[in-house]
Amino acid sequence: MCEPDQITVPVQEAVGLVLSHDITEVNARTHYKGSAFRRGHVISEEDIPKLLDLGKENLYVLEMTEDQMHEDDAVLMLAKALAGENAQFMPEPREGRINIIAGVTGLLKVDVEALMRFNLVGEVMCASRHTNTIVQAGDIVAGTRAIPLVVERELVRQAVAGAEAAGGIISVRPLKAARTAIIITGNEVYTGRIDDAFEPIIREKVETLGSSIVSVTKCPDNLLAIRQALLEAREAADLIVMTGGMSVDPDDLTPLAAREAGADISAYGSAVLPGAMFMVSYFEDGTPVLGVPACGIHHPRTIFDLILPRVLAGEKISGADIARLGHGGLCLDCPECDFPVCPFGKSS
Amino acid sequence: MKSLEEHLAETAAFHGGDCPGQTLGVRLARAGLEQIGVDEPLSDRWRKNIMVYVEIDRCAADALMIVTGCRVGKRTLKIVDYGIMAATFINLKTGKAVRVIAREEARSLAPKYAPEETSKYEQQRQAYRVMPDEELLSFEEVKVTIPPEDLPGSPISRVACERCGDHVVDMREVKIDGVTLCRPCARGGYFTRGK
Repeated sequence: MCEPDQITVPVQEAVGLVLSHDITEVNARTHYKGSAFRRGHVISEEDIPKLLDLGKENLYVLEMTEDQMHEDDAVLMLAKALAGENAQFMPEPREGRINIIAGVTGLLKVDVEALMRFNLVGEVMCASRHTNTIVQAGDIVAGTRAIPLVVERELVRQAVAGAEAAGGIISVRPLKAARTAIIITGNEVYTGRIDDAFEPIIREKVETLGSSIVSVTKCPDNLLAIRQALLEAREAADLIVMTGGMSVDPDDLTPLAAREAGADISAYGSAVLPGAMFMVSYFEDGTPVLGVPACGIHHPRTIFDLILPRVLAGEKISGADIARLGHGGLCLDCPECDFPVCPFGKSS
Repeated sequence: MKSLEEHLAETAAFHGGDCPGQTLGVRLARAGLEQIGVDEPLSDRWRKNIMVYVEIDRCAADALMIVTGCRVGKRTLKIVDYGIMAATFINLKTGKAVRVIAREEARSLAPKYAPEETSKYEQQRQAYRVMPDEELLSFEEVKVTIPPEDLPGSPISRVACERCGDHVVDMREVKIDGVTLCRPCARGGYFTRGK
């Protein structure tokens, strides 16, 4: 980054030029001491009397060539290019910065690779929240600015072109309200030997994200029974969540039953703790079938909390998506859980 | 699928003799399997993926066993005795279920297809071999949710009756005021015990 030249000009000739430093006002009468004009201010005709009042007859200003632009003009272009679907911003920069705001409640999506390329261009920057975070409408999700007061036009052009080619780097996907079927497997629960603990947990997580439960079916560890429950659930639900039977014991039949019912398994086993035995599969019509292992009962947050919002945002989860979760996929089991304000699931 | 003649011969050997009910049962089973998309019911692919609910406990039930390979002991054949000449065929792979009913009208159509026969019994036996499906049978797609404890597979529970001590599998027991009983003890059975 090269700093533009600082030159000295008489106040009367400074209109339209960019102030290169703060001008402080000290008013003995009102005891005010503070900034009268900030660095970066573009001097206007009306400013001249006040500057003269403050004893400024000459000013340090930045010399801006044709190839350069003021940070406020630059950041507006940057924000426009960065903001993708359902991302908004106020077009008035404050101190050179524009915040990008979630236009809807939903899942924040940051094109992490494109963001890195944007930040490599030079003289411009954007900092965002983590991708795949649930955000509320109105939340600040990213901030952008040009770093010097006067930036090279060409760098802004490059950064804008890159962001536009990515279709915007920051976007928010609203969550779909999915009619959800829960299938709870296990002889011990089906026969009433023990009470089911899963249903209230899954129900709360699904309903919190704006979806509903349309059916809860309990099944013994019987392949035919689980398959039958899956086929019936598929008829009525947009999303199927299965619990139990996710381990490797002979009684654990859930993934096999999903396959036998015709679901295509994207991933069985995940790079997240807790949640190593998680399953993601899809029926041909796109209905997702998620298999939640027993850790879902004992841990407040598991891989289910990382994947459910993405499924509801309409993403088709691949094996690679699950593998990518390994980095950041270790829950610290804090005595008080602050998820999602914690490192869990914050991979790129 | 085997030929109609093969099925009729196997059924006669199993059931002992030939009769209109068996013929009807064979036709009903063949049509039912076709409706749920099963061509080789005895193959490994289908053997464990078909279930039949038969609504009558007469000759036709034996014919259904021969044609479909479904058996009471394998838990793939259920007798729900409504006294109706009908059966529902379920493809467990897809959940598709079709109920096939013998049409009452077929009885009076029999002379048309076996005019040379004089006995009603023989007329029906012959006619039911050749009568087209749409005259002999009617079909309705239905939905069947099979209770998991009725499905093939290992027993999912086994408990002792607290009164008589008999062991009961697959949740057929009854709980009354926290006491586990077998059905005969709880509700009375088909038998009574001597003194």
